[in-house]
Amino acid sequence: MQIYDVVIIGAGPAGLAAAIQCRENNLDVVVLDEFPRAGGRLLGQLHQEPNGQWWNGIEESKALLERAESLETDIQLGVSVHHIEKLDDQFVIHTKKKYFHTRNVLIATGAAESPAPIPGWTLPGVMSIGAAQVMTNVHRVKVGEKGIIVGVNVLSAAIARELQLAGIELHSMALPTRNVVVDEQSDPRLVMDRLSRIAHLAPSKFIQLGSKFAKYKFVQSLALKYYPTNGIKMWGMPIYLNKAIKQINGTDKVESVTMVDVTINGDIVENSEKEIPVDFVCIAGGLYPLAELAAVVGCPFIYSEELGGHIPIHNETMETPVKGIYVAGNITGIESSKVAREQGKVAGLAIAHKELNSIDIEEKLQAAVRNVVATRDAASIQFHPGISEGRKKVSTAFQETMKTQKELELVR
Amino acid sequence: MTNRIVDHPVLGKLEERQKVQFEFDGKTYEGYENDTIASALLAHGIRTLRKHEESGNPRGIYCNIGHCFECRVTVNGETNVRACLTPIKANMIVESGQVQPHPLNPSQEGDIPKTYAEYLEQEGRG
Amino acid sequence: MSAKNYEVAVIGGGIVGCSVAFYLAESGLDVILIEKNDIASGTSSRCDGNVSIVDKDPGFDSHMSWVSQELIEDLSKRLDRPFEYRKSGSILVCDNDDEMQAAVDWVKTQNEAGLKFNVLDRNDIKSESPFFADDIPGGLECETDSLINPYMFCYALVDKAESEYGLQVKTRAEVTNITKEGREFKIQTTNEDVRAQKIVNAAGVWAPFIGKMLDVDIPITPRKGHILVGSRQQPVMMRNVMEFGYLMNKFGRERIADKRTTEHGVALVLEPTESQNFLLGSSRQFVGYDPTIDIRVVETMARRALRFFPKMNDFKIIRAYTGFRPFTEDHLPIISEVKEVPGFYIAAGHEGDGISLATGTAKLMEEIINEKTETIIPKEPLSFDRFKKSEVYA
Repeated sequence: MQIYDVVIIGAGPAGLAAAIQCRENNLDVVVLDEFPRAGGRLLGQLHQEPNGQWWNGIEESKALLERAESLETDIQLGVSVHHIEKLDDQFVIHTKKKYFHTRNVLIATGAAESPAPIPGWTLPGVMSIGAAQVMTNVHRVKVGEKGIIVGVNVLSAAIARELQLAGIELHSMALPTRNVVVDEQSDPRLVMDRLSRIAHLAPSKFIQLGSKFAKYKFVQSLALKYYPTNGIKMWGMPIYLNKAIKQINGTDKVESVTMVDVTINGDIVENSEKEIPVDFVCIAGGLYPLAELAAVVGCPFIYSEELGGHIPIHNETMETPVKGIYVAGNITGIESSKVAREQGKVAGLAIAHKELNSIDIEEKLQAAVRNVVATRDAASIQFHPGISEGRKKVSTAFQETMKTQKELELVR
Repeated sequence: MTNRIVDHPVLGKLEERQKVQFEFDGKTYEGYENDTIASALLAHGIRTLRKHEESGNPRGIYCNIGHCFECRVTVNGETNVRACLTPIKANMIVESGQVQPHPLNPSQEGDIPKTYAEYLEQEGRG
Repeated sequence: MSAKNYEVAVIGGGIVGCSVAFYLAESGLDVILIEKNDIASGTSSRCDGNVSIVDKDPGFDSHMSWVSQELIEDLSKRLDRPFEYRKSGSILVCDNDDEMQAAVDWVKTQNEAGLKFNVLDRNDIKSESPFFADDIPGGLECETDSLINPYMFCYALVDKAESEYGLQVKTRAEVTNITKEGREFKIQTTNEDVRAQKIVNAAGVWAPFIGKMLDVDIPITPRKGHILVGSRQQPVMMRNVMEFGYLMNKFGRERIADKRTTEHGVALVLEPTESQNFLLGSSRQFVGYDPTIDIRVVETMARRALRFFPKMNDFKIIRAYTGFRPFTEDHLPIISEVKEVPGFYIAAGHEGDGISLATGTAKLMEEIINEKTETIIPKEPLSFDRFKKSEVYA
């Protein structure tokens, strides 16, 4: 029976970057991913950097994959991992097809989109914003002729632009009307607050949305009553914080949406219903870390709104308190794919260092840790303004957990 | 295949790829190598991948990356396969999910059957 | 602000606590139900829904189940919220000829006690499900067994008792301490304190922690079980099935099975639910209060299911969960006053029979508290004192 040095779960930017570091140090590695192509969410990304260069996820993925393949990395796609079993001196990775035995595991499962249910959302033609991104940029299939985006945030703004680039017409972006599930996404003040707090990142072309907000007085005062009735236009498409989608209509597929005016508090203005014909709807509920596998193997968690949800506790070299389990990428908090890639490098080096214990690797590891911070500071996309605070919280939680663990060992 | 994004201002022209034929609900469709079942069908304008087991409402993809299981179909006889994660293969037989009987639901007409034999009788299949 | 003084405080919002609170409130008492999380958030939502006699020892055990079944049937007509009640009977299947012989004897004994049991042969088994293995020698049927959705049943009871009998419900209130002040109890919780003249400890597997607050040692231990949930699909069968070996596991009797099946206490239970999923059990392990899903146990359970349903290999399992059965040494619950602490009662320790016995338990508790001379079932076999006697000899 083969025992791997490390099994990496997730072939996105974090997983691939980690695999490259491990292979450069000659570790036995297998990378598993259930998607048929390597690259993870990076695959679909396409946006313009502040310097005018395009960030092309397909090319970036290809570069990582080619490097990994040149190092003869074993990458197995279409393999779903459903469990990690912890034995005394190793882990067993349960997949649909077989078991993988390994000394270390890197969980780099990325993020999933929060569902944001509104009436009619099960109709064919309604999809998450990320679904539209993958269909458009990866599969090169049009999701429809004319659509609307429900949910206003950094991710949906970015993907709206990608849909436009592919020649797909968008009516507008608007909020969902309030219900128990989409409470936060339906609150104009909160949405405004979040958008305005990223506005300082302008003049990124991508964040033109943010910079436009910054020009208006209401960003400072948050006085939404001054919000232009016709929305703010981004690339010719209106973004409404004063209109919301109440329901999606159609019998066998999406035929239209019902749009209403909403007040500054998100309340529906009576008799303001308007039917807008569309053939697809993208729902943008935001991203959360996909961390179930860390939970089943016993990693302790901390909740951080700044990082997007429940985060497996880890330190700056991406180790969790469960010895041999590492995390990297969006499972550690929602950030850009560049940060994920740098975190993957750190995790790969940390695992190599654990297995080989060399000064050379340790130096590289320290440099990689610094690089994560530098990449974060330079990032043109930030999903949440408080990321650094969130990271501090996680780091403190790790120290406390380890301290308690040590105390418990002493007692024993 | 009219729904393909052939020319893209940044990603460039769509590369010619190997064509693959597969079957969906008895009809033959053509897709490209690397297409998933979901992408190949959407390229043909097909959005409905199954009917809800009880209500019969049509369903299609939602997340498109394997998390939500809304796109489950039957592939070569295996049920609950995610169309968004499964690459098409030559001669693959894909079937959409259909309404399932729900004999234990009290809103059905008649008494709730106690045995499978009784259920078959009620369904007129006995 | 003076805290209100209730006549009875029921601690624990599972099926036993909800049933006890229901019958007490219905009898006219001023009752409050205290629950640390939410209604049916413990064992009662981590179990299946069998209201069965089929797996009870003939005698007192099966009589109590029968009484409980009658009460549930009555409630199915009286409660306003439906709770997926269906009286379809249930069956046991045998693995081998030895078990088949034991099953025939079992039916005879139950018939003698006046219960409606029938022997099933090979063909009868086939008409229960086309998915059954060909080599199942037969089994038995109990006609009166029924199924409920325990979660919905708890809410149905609480809703009715709140709206019609004045029951007060306090959730998110974990009891942190209990003191007796004169003739009343002061119950401290994480959500305000409560005063009551009497307490019913219906905290199931957590009942010992409540007991400790009043220096009462309650001999209940958690016995963990796993359940798998099958995906909604074509109908598998119409009613609940268990394997005969389940009885052997439950009562700790000898059984022919492989090592892992024995070690994990695995025996087939399959419950087809109204929503066309199916629940697949079962396992029994003493591993404290650790709720972790043990994948090896899951595998053993799945393998056991395949013995009886070979075609299940293609079925999809969508999730697994674990729960804790409140185990007592003699497999009977404690439904009793605690003599040392007048006013303190226990209704707990049902192991895997909480769903089957909740209503009988609750009715008896109501009769004990209201000091009725006639009770629905004899109370002596369920008294708390019985454990003290055995301690003397231990």
